[in-house]
Amino acid sequence: SALQPAGTPKRNIQLSNIIEECSNGRRVSRLLELSPKKPQPEQMEEPKTPKRSTRPSLGTTGSSATKSTPKSASKMKLIRDGTIKPTIHARSAPLGDGANELALARERLHVSATPSSLPCREKEYEEIYNFLEGKIFDGVGGCMYISGVPGTGKTATTTAVIRALRHLSEEEHIPKFDFIDINGMRLTEPRQAYVHIHRQLTGKTLAWEQAYNLLNKRFTTKAPRRTTTVLLVDELDILCNKRQDVVYNILNWPTLATAQLIVVTIANTMDLPERLLMGKISSRLGLTRLTFQPYNFRQLQEIVMARLAGMSSFNSDAVQLVARKVAAVSGDARRALDICRRATELADDQARQTGEQVTVSMTHVQQALTEMITSAKVRTIRSSSRMEQLFLQAVTAEVTRTGIEECNFLGVYSQLEALAAFSGVSVPNPGRAMGICARLTASRILICEGGRNDIFQKILLNISTDDVHFALQASKLL
Amino acid sequence: MPNAKNDVENTRRFLKSRLLTDRASFHGYEAERQNIHDLLERTAEHGESNSALLLGPRGVGKTTLVTSVLAELLAKETFYRNSLIVYLNGLIHIDDRLALKSATAQMNLENAVDGKVFGSFAENLAFLLECLKAGDRKKSKSVIFLLEEFDFFCSHHNQTLLYNLFDVAQSAQAPICVLGITARLDVIELLEKRVKSRFSHRQIFLLPNEDDFDGRLELFESLLKLPTEQELRKFDSTHPSIPDEALSNEEFTLLRNLFNPRQFTFGPKWVAQWNRHIEKLVENDEVQTVLQRMYDYDVLEGPFRILLFELVGELDEEKPNITVESIQLLGENYESDDKVKLLMGLSVLEMCLIIAMKHHSEIYDREPFNFEMILTRFGKWANSSSSMKGIERPVVLKAFEHLKQLEFIALATGGSLSKVQKEYQIHRLLLTNGQIHQAVQRMQLLPTEVSQWEQSSLV
Repeated sequence: SALQPAGTPKRNIQLSNIIEECSNGRRVSRLLELSPKKPQPEQMEEPKTPKRSTRPSLGTTGSSATKSTPKSASKMKLIRDGTIKPTIHARSAPLGDGANELALARERLHVSATPSSLPCREKEYEEIYNFLEGKIFDGVGGCMYISGVPGTGKTATTTAVIRALRHLSEEEHIPKFDFIDINGMRLTEPRQAYVHIHRQLTGKTLAWEQAYNLLNKRFTTKAPRRTTTVLLVDELDILCNKRQDVVYNILNWPTLATAQLIVVTIANTMDLPERLLMGKISSRLGLTRLTFQPYNFRQLQEIVMARLAGMSSFNSDAVQLVARKVAAVSGDARRALDICRRATELADDQARQTGEQVTVSMTHVQQALTEMITSAKVRTIRSSSRMEQLFLQAVTAEVTRTGIEECNFLGVYSQLEALAAFSGVSVPNPGRAMGICARLTASRILICEGGRNDIFQKILLNISTDDVHFALQASKLL
Repeated sequence: MPNAKNDVENTRRFLKSRLLTDRASFHGYEAERQNIHDLLERTAEHGESNSALLLGPRGVGKTTLVTSVLAELLAKETFYRNSLIVYLNGLIHIDDRLALKSATAQMNLENAVDGKVFGSFAENLAFLLECLKAGDRKKSKSVIFLLEEFDFFCSHHNQTLLYNLFDVAQSAQAPICVLGITARLDVIELLEKRVKSRFSHRQIFLLPNEDDFDGRLELFESLLKLPTEQELRKFDSTHPSIPDEALSNEEFTLLRNLFNPRQFTFGPKWVAQWNRHIEKLVENDEVQTVLQRMYDYDVLEGPFRILLFELVGELDEEKPNITVESIQLLGENYESDDKVKLLMGLSVLEMCLIIAMKHHSEIYDREPFNFEMILTRFGKWANSSSSMKGIERPVVLKAFEHLKQLEFIALATGGSLSKVQKEYQIHRLLLTNGQIHQAVQRMQLLPTEVSQWEQSSLV
């Protein structure tokens, strides 16, 4: 058949070819399927091929794989041109809606289900809205810096503002504008920012130098019908390298009258411009800043209740408990929503077991909180073997004896010998004791150096001595 | 007679392959297993995005648990038709570049042709994220990311991969489930603040039961017994066969070549006889003592399986049963000190040097020493002894170097000292006095004067 020439050259027995074919079994199998009547010389390779032929081929279109090199090269070109749209495999059948009320609550509580208007962020919304609307109206450029700890609604608020502005511009209440967003953490290195910005403007993927030149040309030259561009830069601190050229360029373009670029930057730390950025860059960043405070418990409660509006499956006291616990630690809305979601799962489990309708109550929330906030160090010590417990006891004894946090294995071992004699068990030999030490290190109950130092390795307790005593209270050995 | 030989051989093969390859069955930890099961099922069948961490000491069965859950789920058409499994291992995918290439190939995205991925690292990342973004909850397949040795992924540059995976799990994109598996209990503290915030803080701990020696005896029994016909039927019903289509991912090898008891056939008489013998063993006090001592050291199942593997490996026609003696021997080997064994293989001269080092450490409270010091101490004794007179310096140096190679002694750390001549390099003794004493006691052909010298440093 016509496919034969593509396959045959690969068939001569050379080491490089064999390796390639083995590492890439699918192609061989497909060739076999496509050309069932092989010419005689190929029979010689029987011992290798049958193994492969049993394996099923993946469900891609058969013809795309045959001429792998030219096809893939052209495909890559199409991807870079933006002709091939990235897709992910589809389900066999689209999902229906879950009927269960708890499932619905869980769906609404998912962090991804961002509501159209964010509760408790009205002031910040207003501020960003006014800033952006004013700049778009005036057709000038500008910068804004937004900070706040993770999970306080920075990105959600900003994107909500932009969504609203887009809506307005579609109805021609305000001038049209382009929106580009980049995220520092989605880049492999700072300079890839140029590539991403350029791709969102034109749809093409270029090398960063080219992208930079084109962007520079676009922003520095005058064009009669230029629309305003809004650029959202998330995780700004990742874009800062030593030279800080990327951040400089991104913040310098808005200062040019020709660019009409509005840059909104988001990061976690409040003092990032002063701490990390060079003087000339923080000067360009300006003083239009906005800080998102962590949510307090009332706000967290309101956020959760807003998502559950019109549902009776959640006890309001339970929500309050979550809000108070989370607000005391971090004020992270994601955390509160995740804990609530876990609580619905626990309620769901109970409903499945008892077969009756269950609302999420205090007990479920309590259980979810213990699951998601506590650490299991004490439980780990309790569940470890007797010798491991004895070893931990020896470490605490050595720490108490020397008064220094860091002790070495030799000292611990002599304590272990004494403790073992005291509790009437046989002493593990040094090799075994070292094995115990390594096991405890693997789960980070202890911190210790590598094994090369043998009996002189330093050991550090990774939990408080009180925790060890508390955990070992019930132990039979001590 | 040939029949009996066959039976023993079959039994050995059966037990060995069950100890090593039975990854699809898992016992105990019902609540944790159900938790993971529900998590994966909800991801695949309801399009929910999730992230979770499975934590527990090494050898407790974390991977086995996940594999057994997947073995159960992959047998269902609604699961495997609607989900992709991406298996990444922190020890193999040592940076984000490799991990991304592998993920792209496993998801069979557009830029992957026959398992080869094209484009640079940046392009791959951008393309993968675009693909996930293009997906939506209702229409696209769920992707299950299994990240084994999760703590290694935390050391990657900027934690880009983790951030992006957790971020996808927390935004309205293709449904994914990120399941990290690690032995480090404090792994959450390794995550960056923004990565930590995106992680859902679902932590599932897999910890062995406290002080559960009866459980260990049961495990011993269940791992060594042969299945009866009834148990075989139960095995068939709880281990549905997985269609080939569901296992098309080449990187996810955990479910390949699974253990299948139907490959082995035994006469019912032999099974009954063998099982009766194992039951008797479990009730034996001496066996229990050995098992208890092993249990005192290590409560985990993984290492115990390896010990049993050793035990099973000894079976042959001459020794068709597991005996109490072989278990006791196993226990002895388990507790014996390898360094003492190594010491017992030394020559008398080397042993004398070790003794000289021991005396030095005793007198100067473990101060480091060099070759000259040890030579002097040895020389003083050797001159007065009858058998070790007249040994030349190069011979002693050679013995000293041999000891260094066996790592009984090691260079005291202090970087700048490396240029010192080898006779003056300072070393530390890596043995305890107890070990040296034991070795001297047990060495058979050691001259009496040497063992006497070991007792006291006075010459």
